Amino acid sequence: MSMREKIEEAAARYPDQRSAIMPALLIAQQEHGHLPGPVLEEVADILGVERIWVYELATFYTLFHTVPVGMFHLELCDNVSCMLCGSEALLKHLEEVLGIEKGSTTPDGLFTLSTVECLGACEMAPVMQVGDDYHGNLDVGRLDALLARLRAEAGQAPGDDIAAAAPPGE
Amino acid sequence: MFEPVLLKNIDVPDGHLLATYEAGGGYQALAKALREHTPDEVVELVKQSNLRGRGGAGFPTGMKWGFVPKRGDKPKYLCCNADEGEPGTFKDRIIMERDPHQLVEGLAVSAYAIGAETAYVYVRGEYVKAIRRLEQAIAEAREKGYLGDGVLGSDFNFTIHIHCGAGAYICGEETAMLESLEGKRAQPRLKPPFPAVAGLYASPTVINNVETLACVPHIVMRGPHWFRAIGPDKSPGPKLYCVSGQVKKPGLYELPMGIPLRELVEDHAGGPLPGRGIKAVIPGGVSAPIIPRDGLDVGMDFDSLAAAGSMLGSAGVIVVDDSTCMVKVATRIIEFFHHESCGKCTPCREGLNWAVKVLRRIEAGEGAPGDLEQLDKLCKGIFGNTFCALGDGAAMGLRAALAHFRDEFAAHIDERRCPFH
Amino acid sequence: MVSITIDGQTLEVEAGSTVLQAAERLGIDIPTFCYLKRLPPLASCRMCLVEIEGLRRLQPSCATAVTDGMVVRTNTPLIEETRSSMLDMLLANHPLDCPICDKGGECELQDMVMAYGPRKSEFRDPKRVFHSRDIRLSPVVIMNVNRCIQCQRCVRMCEEVVGAVALGTVEKGMDTAVTGFEGSLATCDQCGNCIEVCPVGALMSFPYRYKARPWDLAETDTICPHCGTGCQLTVGARKGEFMRVRSKEEHGVNRETLCVRGRFGLDFVESRDRIKRPMVRRDGALVPVSWEEAGDYLRRRLAAVENKAAGGLASACLPNEVLYQFQKLMRTVFRTNNIDCSSRWSVPFDMLGPLLTGFYTRASLHEVIGNDCVLVVGGNVTEENPVTEYLLRDAARRRQTALLMLSARPSRLDADARVALRVPPGGEAPGLAAVVGGLAARAGRELPDDAFATIGRSAVSFGSEGSDRLVAALKEGRSATLLVSIGLLRSPEARATLQQLNNLLQVLRLLGKDVAMQFLFDRANQMGAWDMGVLPEALPGLLPATDDDAARAALGRAWGAEIPSEPGANFDAMLELCDVGRMGALYIVGSDPLMTYPDRRIVQMALGAADLLIVQDAFLTDTAGLADVVLPAASYGEEAGTFTNNEGRAQKLRKFRNPAFEARGNLEIFDFVAALRHQTLQPSTQGEIFGEIARVVPTYQGLTQDGLGADGAFTKAASPPPAGAFFAPPPTPKVYDGLMLVTGDCLFHNGYLSERSEILNTVADDPYVEMSTQDAGQLDVSDGDQVIVRSAQGELKAKLKVNRRFPGGLVFVPENYRALRLNSLMRRGEYPCPVEVLKAHDTFEIAPGSGPPASPEDLGQGMAGGSP
Ligand SMILES: Cc1cc2nc3c(=O)[nH]c(=O)nc-3n(C[C@H](O)[C@H](O)[C@H](O)COP(=O)(O)O)c2cc1C
Ligand code: SF4
Ligand code: FES
Repeated sequence: MSMREKIEEAAARYPDQRSAIMPALLIAQQEHGHLPGPVLEEVADILGVERIWVYELATFYTLFHTVPVGMFHLELCDNVSCMLCGSEALLKHLEEVLGIEKGSTTPDGLFTLSTVECLGACEMAPVMQVGDDYHGNLDVGRLDALLARLRAEAGQAPGDDIAAAAPPGE
Repeated sequence: MFEPVLLKNIDVPDGHLLATYEAGGGYQALAKALREHTPDEVVELVKQSNLRGRGGAGFPTGMKWGFVPKRGDKPKYLCCNADEGEPGTFKDRIIMERDPHQLVEGLAVSAYAIGAETAYVYVRGEYVKAIRRLEQAIAEAREKGYLGDGVLGSDFNFTIHIHCGAGAYICGEETAMLESLEGKRAQPRLKPPFPAVAGLYASPTVINNVETLACVPHIVMRGPHWFRAIGPDKSPGPKLYCVSGQVKKPGLYELPMGIPLRELVEDHAGGPLPGRGIKAVIPGGVSAPIIPRDGLDVGMDFDSLAAAGSMLGSAGVIVVDDSTCMVKVATRIIEFFHHESCGKCTPCREGLNWAVKVLRRIEAGEGAPGDLEQLDKLCKGIFGNTFCALGDGAAMGLRAALAHFRDEFAAHIDERRCPFH
Repeated sequence: MVSITIDGQTLEVEAGSTVLQAAERLGIDIPTFCYLKRLPPLASCRMCLVEIEGLRRLQPSCATAVTDGMVVRTNTPLIEETRSSMLDMLLANHPLDCPICDKGGECELQDMVMAYGPRKSEFRDPKRVFHSRDIRLSPVVIMNVNRCIQCQRCVRMCEEVVGAVALGTVEKGMDTAVTGFEGSLATCDQCGNCIEVCPVGALMSFPYRYKARPWDLAETDTICPHCGTGCQLTVGARKGEFMRVRSKEEHGVNRETLCVRGRFGLDFVESRDRIKRPMVRRDGALVPVSWEEAGDYLRRRLAAVENKAAGGLASACLPNEVLYQFQKLMRTVFRTNNIDCSSRWSVPFDMLGPLLTGFYTRASLHEVIGNDCVLVVGGNVTEENPVTEYLLRDAARRRQTALLMLSARPSRLDADARVALRVPPGGEAPGLAAVVGGLAARAGRELPDDAFATIGRSAVSFGSEGSDRLVAALKEGRSATLLVSIGLLRSPEARATLQQLNNLLQVLRLLGKDVAMQFLFDRANQMGAWDMGVLPEALPGLLPATDDDAARAALGRAWGAEIPSEPGANFDAMLELCDVGRMGALYIVGSDPLMTYPDRRIVQMALGAADLLIVQDAFLTDTAGLADVVLPAASYGEEAGTFTNNEGRAQKLRKFRNPAFEARGNLEIFDFVAALRHQTLQPSTQGEIFGEIARVVPTYQGLTQDGLGADGAFTKAASPPPAGAFFAPPPTPKVYDGLMLVTGDCLFHNGYLSERSEILNTVADDPYVEMSTQDAGQLDVSDGDQVIVRSAQGELKAKLKVNRRFPGGLVFVPENYRALRLNSLMRRGEYPCPVEVLKAHDTFEIAPGSGPPASPEDLGQGMAGGSP
């Protein structure tokens, strides 16, 4: 299905096209990796809604990215439960091994490192989300293993084509 | 031993599949409701059960349903609050991942009761697995005639749509959720009109939490009196407690309403980590004021916790042990609220920003005399004056931390460093 | 009614009122930021919190409905502390850069802090800074996000009132910022209402930026000259120099709103095009002279044509007093009824007169659009009368008014309409006939038989579902209002259109509805111009100029002069007089027919054929370039007077500067011209003339200048409704399958005044051609392409704007871009104008000869070029 078709299908769930902006942005982001201006315009045009409404939502919600992110987005929870279970040390470790500060992307475009608010998985704190998956009960050793796995996966994927990289499996 | 109700299927292999759910008696409540009860009777059952909302506020569910106008030409909507953003909370995710049909059936019975033909389940976007499981469950249920036109041969038509959130805690606030569903920035709406009268698309709308809805089929099957017999009469039922933080056995526990916090933390969750002692517990997600060690005998239900100056909230129980700096915990909590403030009202948006700046300074050992009074004043300016309960929750949390652990704050300022480092 | 006690005072208020409204009525001041009277409450700023007995928390008074017996306190220590605390928090991140902020001195935050704020703040941490430099959102809007207090007044104004939905709010929480799509407002309406409602210096007017401090400004309340809505505005001038316009929440039909033309289009008074000195034609060229020389010249030339016909054309943008005096001058000094106030159309006065006297509703727009149905006929109200459109949107969204649209051009308001019916270009008359027929068919026995005899029993239906729904809405409503675009007069079918309007009004009346009707004029004083008798057929008060000897004689007595009894010529007929060599003196005041008359070739030839062409104007128009004598006149803002707007509301026009250079007031010039013919006009000052108008014009009787308060005063309806004559439906229009060009105003320009505003020209410098997506597709042209529009008469080139709401077959080119010379495509007596549209290739040059004739600027302006 084309992006337009997917969006139109999602829009059919609502009596008002404006409701479909959020699902449409999720679809568009899957398609394009992030949401630059022209994509927002396209979404507005497909739904026949005001552009500013699309822009408003693309910036209000943290899961939408108006600037590109790396192939793997490491989203480490640093809310209370995870903090109590050591997420701070994990962040420091990640910053060290990746050589970047949180909020930025490695030069090779592989990893973007962020901290996020509670992921709703505190029973396995500290937790990190990568793509669709949660990784819990992390410690430095598990983290390193995970990074290695992700790197290997990226190696198999065709170089810089982010869209083609399958999301890491369950 | 308490026999699990909501978590009955949780560890059953393939618990998320329809076959498993049916094998455990699934969808019989729906069949029963459609066959034996009028919608009004289902509302009445829920009223009699004294079921109170599990999303945080503990509002009586049957009463909420009763506000929906009986007549009127507008469609009615049921919205399920599966945004689960309250730090320390993960119960709804586990239900959706491992026993999604329980929610689907709850939705169907509840929609029948209030006369809704459409439900939107607002699931936070991070919950990819839960969303997939729920999608699958909805598809299976539709296939089997539990959903769709003429559910189980009745004249009840029912469709469930999933709406994915995109990362904003405020979407858990019910009117902000409605704004979000309408494709707007998620900012709370003025009440009145209340959603039951004019909610989604200005139509009558009921918003309920996942766990609340999951209780409904059990009430229909086993009767309101069974439900009411579990825990305190005014705040009854089986309850999911999410335990996390510095304890031996973090996890999701199903126990009766009203069990003592101490029993939950020390017995069920195994107590503090080796060599540590409990310093304080947050009983209901970070919006709930923290309870110091000596207050742990409080019962875990809406009324007892309120009387103790805290709240049950989402029952996200976070245990803090004595190795932890309370200033740091408080700072992190206020940072969270600051980050998640929708920005609509002055006290929450500006006041929390101010509070964060002061707290970060204190934590870094750069506090100054007068800072604590400034924080007190901020709490006063914020509490009770914000548009929605987010700001209130933040102010209450900070106030409790300042009240119970003032000496730790003062030590940071006096010593110009964190005593825990 | 419910009773409420506030601070010990008890009051009865309507159920549904808010505590804030009740307090206001008691004169109790409650501070607010986010509250805007015309919008539903937001209750986000929390400044207006009050104590309500029985409630634990403070409640926002702006959003709390009064309940019976409610006891409220607004002045307790807790409330004072809370207000102070809100302000303290707002100031924490506010840059406090008041000395360099345009808003300093008239800032609500400053005022509020003075009144309710903390005396000192404990906040010592670094402030949030969004941007170190202000952001230029559009040519006229500049934003300092750091100062924003998030009241959202601007965003709500933009979406809910203006309907532009250009501004929005991005990010959340502390990062929240107001901005346009991708940080730009380049394509918004530029109305600046966001700036007006901003309580602080966050949204600012770029043209006014750093130009003055508020206390340096001399402010004058006056009326906008840019359309017939007649918005109240306040001009700020510094040392006589125009600085800015703002609008006041308390006043006028518009309250605090304006459109781009009103807010930013008044700098035309300082246009480079101003005529500095009188000019006379010598050896083919206009040369600047003194007023005496001009007088001598004119005296001679006037004497030479004394025995020939004379004619006068005056602009409907001039004040009542000037127009009244002009027709008096023409009638008594030039002894002619050859008088007109529009070069764009000829009014079928026999149809218009009865409509104006019998149906026109001289009442506030707010009142008439509160009717159950409002049918807007023709034009594009969004672009022609923007502020009227805001009010219509409000009526549709919040007052349960069923908004019905019937026009060829789509407009933004269609989105809020219950029914928006598209008719083919020029198809308004048959469209209305269909509505009348449909209504009659539905009414059945409720209508007398003789009505059916002419209307016909069966609807001349488009058979469209829309027309049925439109008719049903009219039939259901207990009251109905017709708002009619004046653009309909352009058509040679104007008579039929007016006839069908008449039929519709009569049928509605027969069905027992409360009926109201108003025109939507694009000229600020069109109503006044008609009321003042600037028409060949009508004396002031719309009294018949020739048929009613008694009326004429009575007025003549009042004037102490005789009024000619010969029927007069309208402008069209005056051009014919010119053509056949019978026109002696043609006197044009404030009008530019060479730009506006729908056949440039004809008007150019005719004006050249008049013996003496006198042009009195503030600006060097194309027409002035053809004149024999050019008399520099005061511009808008340089003389006082009154305007009568669409509502029939007479409002005061005030002077905010002296006439530029050697220009003189229009009244003074009339005296000057009369004197050249050895006559005088009595009285001759604006105030006295107003007094005379109030005496002799029945609709204006009893008005006094002082009585025109801040909101003006309504003129009165003329005479009771005429006995109902019905008119047969027009013949079904022949189906034309080519493209049809229509014109009218665009948002940014509505006449030669706006075209001389430098600010408007920077906002909207590109003339354009608008057409539908499917037509553009078929012609293989796309948005932004240069296209050529060609008629049988001529062609023009402009940028294409594709509008997906446009119906096929419709081409729109705005009327007021001088560069386009749109009227050179038009042919007299033909409208809409059949055209073809083709893609312009870069190499393609408009062939000489087929294009517009040699520019009169080239002819005349050599002279002006010298900038006398
Ligand atoms: C800031 C805020 C966040 C909330 N987040 C959630 C949430 O994540 N999930 C939830 O079910 N309720 C949440 N609530 C409570 C809801 O507003 C609402 O009370 C609840 O969904 C009603 O369902 P219930 O009656 O079944 O509890 C939140 C409330 C506030 C004020
Ligand atoms: S308290 Fe105010 S700013 Fe905070 S989340 Fe609620 S409405 Fe938004
Ligand atoms: S004016 Fe009432 S909250 Fe802003």
